[in-house]
Amino acid sequence: MPVSDPFREGIARGWKTLDGSRLDRDLTLETDVAIIGSGAGGATSAEILAAAGYRVLIIEEGPLKTSSDFRMQESQAYPSLYQEGIGRMSKDSAITILQGRAVGGTTLINWTSCFRTPEPTLQHWAREHGVRGLDAASLAPWFERIEQRLGIEPWRMPPNANNQVIQDGCEALGYQWAVIPRNVRGCWNLGYCGLGCPVNAKQSMLVTSLPAALEKDAELLYLARAERLLLDGERVSGIECLGMDERCVAPTGRRILVRARHYVLAGGGINSPAVLLRSAAPDPYRRTGRRTFLHLANFSAAQFDKTINPFYGAPQSIYSDHFQWQDGATGAMGYKLEVPPLQPAITATLLGGFGRDNALRMEQLPHTNVMLALLRDGFHPQSAEGRVELRADGTPTLDYRMTPYTWDGIRRAFHSMAQIQFAAGARTVLPLHVDGVHATSLAEARAQIDALDLALYRTRLGSAHVMGGCAMGEDPTQAVVDSLGRHHQLENLSVHDGSLFPTSIGANPQLSIYALTAKLASQLAERLRSS
Amino acid sequence: MHSFDPSRRSLLKLGLVGGAVLATLGGIATLGGDASEAPAPGYLALRAQDLPFLHALIPVILDQVLSAERLPTVLPQVLHDIDLGLASVSPALLAQIRELFDVTAGRLTRGPLTGVWQPWQETPPEQVAAFLVRWRDSSLALLRQGYAALLQMVLMAWYGNPDAWAHCGYPGPPTI
Repeated sequence: MPVSDPFREGIARGWKTLDGSRLDRDLTLETDVAIIGSGAGGATSAEILAAAGYRVLIIEEGPLKTSSDFRMQESQAYPSLYQEGIGRMSKDSAITILQGRAVGGTTLINWTSCFRTPEPTLQHWAREHGVRGLDAASLAPWFERIEQRLGIEPWRMPPNANNQVIQDGCEALGYQWAVIPRNVRGCWNLGYCGLGCPVNAKQSMLVTSLPAALEKDAELLYLARAERLLLDGERVSGIECLGMDERCVAPTGRRILVRARHYVLAGGGINSPAVLLRSAAPDPYRRTGRRTFLHLANFSAAQFDKTINPFYGAPQSIYSDHFQWQDGATGAMGYKLEVPPLQPAITATLLGGFGRDNALRMEQLPHTNVMLALLRDGFHPQSAEGRVELRADGTPTLDYRMTPYTWDGIRRAFHSMAQIQFAAGARTVLPLHVDGVHATSLAEARAQIDALDLALYRTRLGSAHVMGGCAMGEDPTQAVVDSLGRHHQLENLSVHDGSLFPTSIGANPQLSIYALTAKLASQLAERLRSS
Repeated sequence: MHSFDPSRRSLLKLGLVGGAVLATLGGIATLGGDASEAPAPGYLALRAQDLPFLHALIPVILDQVLSAERLPTVLPQVLHDIDLGLASVSPALLAQIRELFDVTAGRLTRGPLTGVWQPWQETPPEQVAAFLVRWRDSSLALLRQGYAALLQMVLMAWYGNPDAWAHCGYPGPPTI
């Protein structure tokens, strides 16, 4: 059955798009609202502002790739759709950071899990970070609106066997588990969400808000890096953009100057603070790029007698929050348990080892389950946190510092995952650590985990959720923007993306970003009308 | 929030040591070899001086997966997949990887750091494996980091290739 490519059709119908890699001269573009970034925050804002009648220009650093480009091949998807060609890591290279970089941002390659911002998180922000007006009741209508917009509902098909492990294990142990709500319509249950949905079932920004904005005459400039904001006192007067080559590695030398009434920064964690840092934006309390969080993840592999085929089927459909709030928001570090999809290239690097070790582990792929723990960083004073810095060439890197408090969370998460995997019937469990070996009983796994040298590079660590760095809050000595996303020092600049969060979320962040930025963009549309 | 944190301090120290070592070694490596930055003919990012090391490394990382008969046909493919990956990463990361290659290729750095004193072309697989273990278990963060980077580079490239899938029981993506 042939699958249509609505984005290409839209371009053929006359959507205004401009490829920054193919400019034959420098350009100046004018608009009402310039939005840097086309992911969850940028596209949601673009749809709302375009619908409100404003001229909108969306600036995206990455390439334009649409469903007909998505071939479910890791070798093609990783270099083209991920930040730094999937080479993004923490500054010390100890943590791999998966973040999208293409039109649609991370929504193009995420695993479709959608959760409302947990109430304890919202309460913590109000109490500790001076965030005003974002309680569960005032956000509820925005969550409902997005859930309807993106077809978000608990996954109705049976989970794949990889996810079933969480359900079986938690059920046996009396632990909490639940079905994950997903942003899909007519999903084929293929399992390749991380490589770009080939059938446009995932309700990413590429098939929802971006087309809606472009239908309302918004313009899209892609393969263009927002290099710096031009500042004029307390106002932004323009954005200097650099055309990027088609692999999005290096600038071509072409420049695009963008002038607008209002500017929205929505490049996501790491990239949004980097634009501010490159621009030398006023930052009297040195808050820009601070408090960046990752939902740092560690992993536990298990082998089963039965077939798991963890590369097929909706990647995430079951989760457990059993260990998330056990000790309150600010106690010992909590974590959410989920599974990643296991296509072979990403799996080989997760399982680790070389030669015989890696070969034996990979040979068992069809019988392998991998579980991950998302650590809720940023709630406790001793939590690990990151700080965005600029490299010599002006590109950003994240200096994320581990702490004993965080390592303790990692160790407890290894225990929890092993326990659930054995309870689900695992034959062996392997903590993903350089010294990890297959344990054949829970007692053996526990002894092994207690003895693991939890050090950088020895413990496999990853992140798929970058949050914070332009924290919101009413106190300018603590936050970069206020609770409406307005920059504390620059009057016509807003931040609308995951960099707003003053801590991690404690759940996959996409729905939090959609709902919050829908609210902020609607309020911005009102303010622009009256100004 | 600002309380004293001993682990942070020691990490910081380690980081500084690692950084200093890398800077020095990178410099020495460059002194000791002919470091052209131009890609080798037919490649986008890999340089001629990177190839002997990778030729020695890849069969060891993929030992038990790649038979000796398949090696001559598969090796060029893996190299090209690694090359494409490196051509897509940020210039900053590519520079780091090249420093790593310089350390393994440099006449003055190779022996002391890898334990391999002869040219890579003449190094038997057991010695290459011993070098990997040495880096994996090194007390220098820089070398542990290098070990992780080399494994990731080779494993990602190989398992992204359909030729690798029979070994791991992956039937490939469905037809749509």
